[in-house]
Amino acid sequence: MKTKTIITTLMVLIGAALMVVSYVFLATPACNTSVECSNPVVPFAAGIFVLGLVVAFSSGIFYSVYKGDE
Amino acid sequence: MVTTEAMPQRQPTRDTGLPQGVGRLTPTWILFFVAMIVITAFGFYAYLLQVNNGLVVTGLRGLGTMAGATWGLYVAYYVYFIGVSFAGITVAAMIRIFRIEKLEPVARIGELLTVVALILGALAILADLEHPWRAIVNLVKLGRPQSPFFGTFTMVVAGYLFASLVYLYVTSRKDAASLAGRPSRFQGLYRFLAAGYKDTSDQRKIDRRVTFWLAVAILPLLVIAHSTVGFVFGLQAGRPGWFGTLQAPGFVVLAGVSGIGNLIMLAAIVRVATHTKDRITIDAFAWLGKLLLGLLVTYLYFTAVEILTITYQPGATEQGLSEALLSGTYAWIFWGAILSLVGAALLLIWQALTREWSIGLIVATGVLVNIGAVAKRYLIVVPSQTHGQLLPYPVGSYAPNWVEWAVVFGLFALGAFMIGGFMKVFPIVPLEEAE
Repeated sequence: MKTKTIITTLMVLIGAALMVVSYVFLATPACNTSVECSNPVVPFAAGIFVLGLVVAFSSGIFYSVYKGDE
Repeated sequence: MVTTEAMPQRQPTRDTGLPQGVGRLTPTWILFFVAMIVITAFGFYAYLLQVNNGLVVTGLRGLGTMAGATWGLYVAYYVYFIGVSFAGITVAAMIRIFRIEKLEPVARIGELLTVVALILGALAILADLEHPWRAIVNLVKLGRPQSPFFGTFTMVVAGYLFASLVYLYVTSRKDAASLAGRPSRFQGLYRFLAAGYKDTSDQRKIDRRVTFWLAVAILPLLVIAHSTVGFVFGLQAGRPGWFGTLQAPGFVVLAGVSGIGNLIMLAAIVRVATHTKDRITIDAFAWLGKLLLGLLVTYLYFTAVEILTITYQPGATEQGLSEALLSGTYAWIFWGAILSLVGAALLLIWQALTREWSIGLIVATGVLVNIGAVAKRYLIVVPSQTHGQLLPYPVGSYAPNWVEWAVVFGLFALGAFMIGGFMKVFPIVPLEEAE
């Protein structure tokens, strides 16, 4: 398999993993019983979600631009 | 087919060597840019007044005891701008997935429209906040993508905007490479954007593969994104008029209506401004018209179902709200919107039946559906706050004042400036081989 394909696939998978993990685990509130613990378990979980999206879609640019295998 | 008569229109601009008037500022263009800068500056001045003195300088007031509306013109236009963004990626994705070649000349216009509309949508919602900097910091730190409010920003604005920018870049590299070989003041920029692009059959295959998969990935994101905006309203059980299952699909469909309508208007302006009448032909407009008709008929059906539901056996609050909409304070806006949307549908149906499409009439439908869409967005946002109180508060009222209008017009001018600026730096219509 070409380096280009491997790196692109990795970018998509890492991006998707970041989105899923931040959405399902990191951004959930610590509890639902009081306002004090209603923040996400991990701060900046939303930022991690956006980062995952950016990494996943950047794979399109990488696949289009990278010429390492040629 | 390129006609002989049309050829001179597409000759590169003499003084820049670039096609479609890129890099060439005529007096009309200078006047346009100055006008847009002045209007944007006035909008920014109004916004600074708001930042310094608070939202009290606007027509916005608290719900309940203040008998006002906390979401007004800014939120209505936020929803509108996000809706407009629907068009670009939809059209671009359809071209790649279904290979609709006749729409290819308007693909980049649509992609640009998406990017600009998303930026304006983000600015419109920031304008609604009294302390926007707090939102900017806390959104990333404390926001939860599960919440429709924050999901709107993480998925719609951030994700959707980035995905659209990637799509716009990937589909523009070939033209950037083509222009990089010509001496011009933007040569360095084109070389940078081209990033070593070589127009070979392998590269074309790669481009097709990338744009296809990007389109496949973006389409579900698009539906989720527009549904999420609908959920901001549709999930609020304590607000009659908002709570309902039709909000999310209704938002997606009306987004398509306003977005395609805007794309039609912009394509009509571009074909004249860039002398590309032979590229953006009646075929492209007819395709957009048919697409618009399908979405419009669906939305009118949703509207009929919505009216029937709120008037059939309404509770006391729903009855007050439906009376305000159908025969009260908001009736002129409601019936104006229905008239615009039905009028546009009739114009399109007539053209579809006779199979004689006219660019002028299709553009007229684009204008009509956008008038209808703005009015419907306003009606979605405001009446449920002024007339949808479940608690025993008096009926409220809301009228946007000059500050809000100045900010909104400023946003429109900023959007026009961005699109005009793009047109002077890069061909907005994809180049043909001969160009």
